[in-house]
Amino acid sequence: MHVPLIIIGGGLSGLAAGLRFARFLPDVLILEKHSRLGGLNSYYYRNNRLFETGLHAITNFAEPKDKKAPLNRLLRQLKIKRKELDLHEQNRSEIHFLNQESLLFSNDFTLFCNEISEKFPNSFAGFNELLNIIDEYDPFAPRDFISARTIILEKLHDQLLTDMLLCPLMYYGSSIENDMDFGQFVIMFRAIFQEGMFRPGGTIKDLLDLLTNHYQTHGGKLRTKAGVKRIIKDGKKAVAVELEDGEQIQCDFLLSTIGSDETFNLLDTPSPIKDMPRLGFVETIFELSPETKLNKNGNNTIIFFNNGTTFNYAKPTDRVDFNSGVICMPQNFQNLDVRPYKEVRTTHLANYDEWKSLSHDKALYTAAKDETAAASLPVAEKILGNFGKNIVYRDTFTPLTIERFTTKKHGAIYGNPIKIKNGDIGYTNLFLAGTDQGFLGIVGSMLSGVSIVNQHILPRI
Amino acid sequence: MTRDAIKDLILEIIEDIDEDADFDTLQANQPLRDQLDLDSMDFLDIVMELRKRHKLQIPEEDYPELASLDSCVNYLEPLLKNA
Repeated sequence: MHVPLIIIGGGLSGLAAGLRFARFLPDVLILEKHSRLGGLNSYYYRNNRLFETGLHAITNFAEPKDKKAPLNRLLRQLKIKRKELDLHEQNRSEIHFLNQESLLFSNDFTLFCNEISEKFPNSFAGFNELLNIIDEYDPFAPRDFISARTIILEKLHDQLLTDMLLCPLMYYGSSIENDMDFGQFVIMFRAIFQEGMFRPGGTIKDLLDLLTNHYQTHGGKLRTKAGVKRIIKDGKKAVAVELEDGEQIQCDFLLSTIGSDETFNLLDTPSPIKDMPRLGFVETIFELSPETKLNKNGNNTIIFFNNGTTFNYAKPTDRVDFNSGVICMPQNFQNLDVRPYKEVRTTHLANYDEWKSLSHDKALYTAAKDETAAASLPVAEKILGNFGKNIVYRDTFTPLTIERFTTKKHGAIYGNPIKIKNGDIGYTNLFLAGTDQGFLGIVGSMLSGVSIVNQHILPRI
Repeated sequence: MTRDAIKDLILEIIEDIDEDADFDTLQANQPLRDQLDLDSMDFLDIVMELRKRHKLQIPEEDYPELASLDSCVNYLEPLLKNA
C-alpha cells in the first residue's frame, strides 16, 4: 500500500493536519495507536457516563469579525463553520494566591486590567508597557530562549504579580520549570487573557466526531489500534512505516505528531535534542450530586491557585505538589445545557519517577491515587467550600495514566521543553507537528498540524 | 478561459475561503492580501484550489505572481487558455 501522506497520531494536531490535507488531496492516512482518537484530549466511559480527559477550557476565544485571530484562521483553514462548534464562553476565571491576592479575568480583557489597576496600582504603568511589548512582539520569529520572567519582573517590579501572571500561562502550556520563553508567554498571554476561554456545548467526543466526519467526507482514511513499530528510512527520507502487526505502508510524506523523542525512537536514531526534565501532572475528577452548593468561587470557570508562600512551577520531589494547581468546573460556561452532575477537577504538578516506582505493585499504586484524591480535596474545599460529602464518583489520572494512553514520554502533557517550531527534524519528507512543535492547547495544536502541512507538504505535492 | 472568467474564478475561490470577503472596493492592481485581510495560510488555499479544480501545479517560486487580481489573471491566462 502506498499513500501520499501518512500522519502518525490521531490527536487534535493529527486530525487537523489530516483534514487540511484531505481538503485538497483525499489520499491521507491517519494512524492512531489507541482505540480512540483525541490523544491528550479524549474521553472514557464510567457508569454509563462520558468523562473528558484533557479538555478544561479551550483558549483563544475570538469574535467572528476578528479574522486574524487564531480560532478564526483555524476554522477557515479547515472549512468548519463556527456554528458547528457551538461555542460557550467562560463565566469568569480567577488567579487565587491564598492570603495574598486574587485577580479575576474573563473574555472581556478590561476586567483583568481593572483588577490589576486596583490591586497592584504601583505596577499598572509597567503592566501597560508590558502590553505594548506584547502587542508588537512577533512570537513566531526564530529566536533563542528569552526569559519571560526577567522581562515581566523588570516591567512590573512586583514578584507576586509576576507569579500571578505566569501561573495560568504555565499551567496551561509550559513545559519549562519556573520560566517560559518570552515568545511562548506572548502566545499564551494573548490566548488566555486577551482572547479568553470557551468550550463546545457538547463533549470532546462531539468535537472529535466533527473533525472526523469532515475528514472522512473529504476522503481521508483513519485507522485506530494501528501502532507504528518503526519508520523505514532511506538516508534522510522516510519511505514507509511498519505497523505493529508487520504491515508496511509506503508514503511520499510523513507527519509525526507523537513527540520528537518518540519519533526518533521509531527512526531507531538517537534524538539530537537535549533531554531536559519533563513536567508531569495528576488530575482528579470529583463528580458531585446536582444539588451540591459551592461558595461564590464555585461559579468561576477555572481557578489557578497557589497556597504556598512562593509559587513553584517545577517537578516536585514528592509524588504530588499540592501547593498549587488548577481547579476546573466544566459546567461553568455560559448557556450550557444543565448537566446531570457537577464536576470539580483538580490538577497538580507530579513527579513521574515517584509514580513509576509504584507501577510494579497495583495495590500501592491504587492507594497512592486514593491518597492523591484525598489530599487534593481539602485544597479545593479551601477555595470552594466543603463538597466532600456530595461526591458521587471520583477518579484520578497520574503521569502513568497519561503515558499509557497517549504514549507521551513520562506522561508529560506539554512534551519536550525544547520545541521544534518549524517542524523540521532533519529529514526531507518527515516533519513534526503537535506538542513538540510547540503550539499548545486545543486551538494551538490544531494550528500546529495545519501550519506544518501548509509550510512543508502542500506546496510540494 | 477568458480574462474575465479567470477573474471570476479567483473571486469565487476567495469567497469560498472567506464568505464575508468584501469585493466592492477591491482594486485589481493592488495586493489581495492587504485588501481582503488574507494571511499567507489563506493564500495557500488559492494555489491549492487551482490545483484541485484545474490540475494546475504552481511552483512555490511563482506564488508572488498571484499577489493581485490583475497579476493572477496575467499569470493564469496562458496556463488556462484551454480550460
